Amino acid sequence: MTVTPGRRSDRSVPLRADRFGRWAQELRALLRRWYLQLVRERAHLVLTLCQPAFWLVFFGLGVGRLVDRATVGTDDYTGFILPGVIGSTVIGSAISGAVPLLWDKETGYLHKLLSMPINRGSILLSRLLFQVLVTAVQVAFILLVAVALGVRVATGLPGHLLVLLVAALLTVALTAIFLALAYLGPGHNTFFTVSGFAALPLLLASNAFVPLAAMPVWMAAVARLNPLTYANEASRLLVLDGWRADLVGYLVGLSLFAVVCVAAAYLAFRKQTGGST
Amino acid sequence: MTGEAITTSGLGRVFGDRHAVCDLDLRVPTGQVMGLLGPNGAGKTTTIRMLTTLLAPTSGSARVAGLDVRRDPARARRHIGYVPQEKGVRHLLTGRESAEIEADLHHIPRRDRDRRVAEVLDLLGLLPDADRLVSEYSGGMQRRLDLACGLLHRPDVLILDEPTLGLDVPSRRQVWDHVRELRDGGGTVLLATNYLDEADALCDRVTILDRGRGVVTGTPAELKRKFGADVVVVRTRQADRLRQVLSGLSWVQQVKAVDDEVSVFVADAPSALPAVVAEAQLHDVAVLRATYERPTLDDVFLRSTGRAAEGRP
Repeated sequence: MTVTPGRRSDRSVPLRADRFGRWAQELRALLRRWYLQLVRERAHLVLTLCQPAFWLVFFGLGVGRLVDRATVGTDDYTGFILPGVIGSTVIGSAISGAVPLLWDKETGYLHKLLSMPINRGSILLSRLLFQVLVTAVQVAFILLVAVALGVRVATGLPGHLLVLLVAALLTVALTAIFLALAYLGPGHNTFFTVSGFAALPLLLASNAFVPLAAMPVWMAAVARLNPLTYANEASRLLVLDGWRADLVGYLVGLSLFAVVCVAAAYLAFRKQTGGST
Repeated sequence: MTGEAITTSGLGRVFGDRHAVCDLDLRVPTGQVMGLLGPNGAGKTTTIRMLTTLLAPTSGSARVAGLDVRRDPARARRHIGYVPQEKGVRHLLTGRESAEIEADLHHIPRRDRDRRVAEVLDLLGLLPDADRLVSEYSGGMQRRLDLACGLLHRPDVLILDEPTLGLDVPSRRQVWDHVRELRDGGGTVLLATNYLDEADALCDRVTILDRGRGVVTGTPAELKRKFGADVVVVRTRQADRLRQVLSGLSWVQQVKAVDDEVSVFVADAPSALPAVVAEAQLHDVAVLRATYERPTLDDVFLRSTGRAAEGRP
């Protein structure tokens, strides 16, 4: 038998030829894999969904009693920290969004994936898409709990959807960063140390629970460097204040941030995995 | 066109200042099982990573199914079935789901997918367990699932990295049978292994790697004839003395002494054994025990990698 470059031999199974169809098929298969891995771990799934709501209930109702309304600028502390709780959920989601890729790398399955004729970008894209869906479900659940606790979102139903969008953009950006940490880093020790170390400062050095105006000047300066602050600002406008022109700037800024993070993660991934598509 | 499924010339890969693979020329004819042998760290896995387009070579070139892995990696991957030695995270999926997902990742059209998945699972005897979680599979079943997944798109070249590592004897034999069937069906297989009996049983040809270089290549029989001279093994308290006595005799090819054991390499061990014992007696060397071994690939391996002294059993 002779081999002709590029032509698969007659014994081969016929493969799909159209580019878009191939891409859609591999993306669906990867999403299916992520989905099955998530839902088969019941306890993980349930806790992932419920944990943020606990924050809202216990932190919002408890700490809310200690909070001076003049500092926060509203009576509704639960409404005030709602964006912060969503932000903390997004951070947690972004970290756990990188973990499956981390395990694939450490168990060698990533090599197998990369030896298949799929686009390298599909692996990252499928993880980002999947994690956005997970975050959306979590945030929707948080919003339901918030409504049950008496929070009334100033911008109504469209506002709820925009809060979801803000969470999605932040999820994309942060997941991309943690994905990069997962495959560029030396291993899971580094990953969990760094991500565990980063999570709390990321949350606390933002306006998640305290308004910028109430912070010491230096802390506010740090918080202004934190992308979470802008996501919180956007959501807070939607929840507490209603439609404001500032929203556009926040949304555009967050979108650009997400694009930059994804592009950087993709380029690094390509470089790390042999450079080609 | 060539009749070679895999061709490398001057293939090399450097990590920092370490030459993991160096100037490697491999030729795997279509339809053969080629063994890649070598001690741990000899460069087998690095070679496989380059052939499966996971790692770019730093020198030389490699073609798989006629496609240059560096210039045309995306197309080359469509011809490759790769079964890595690692297990991968799949324990939460069933065998069938796992295979379906890999079939999709190989772009097997949806209308053919389920049939093809059932075919390969059946071929590897996994159909009755197809809908159980992979976490419930034994090591042998997981390996067979790996193999099944590697066959989904009926690749022109199947690359197996340590396919029987950690398996019990019946499971190993099963995997061997499947590899043979595959070869008989016209497939080309590149097999990296640490097990020389496996290479002997399965491979049409083997290449032995050592410190990143191809040391020898040939059929197992050729190599055994070439390197694995029959060995007479003598146990004595005067090993050095016996070595001196025997060195230089015309019918002795080589003598090695380790502790109280002397290995005498000869053309025909059964007839040389009494001669060795007679020679020992002539020089007052007390022989405690004398046996002989016919060549195995172990001998080829040990002698060609220059590690006979430390490795002789």
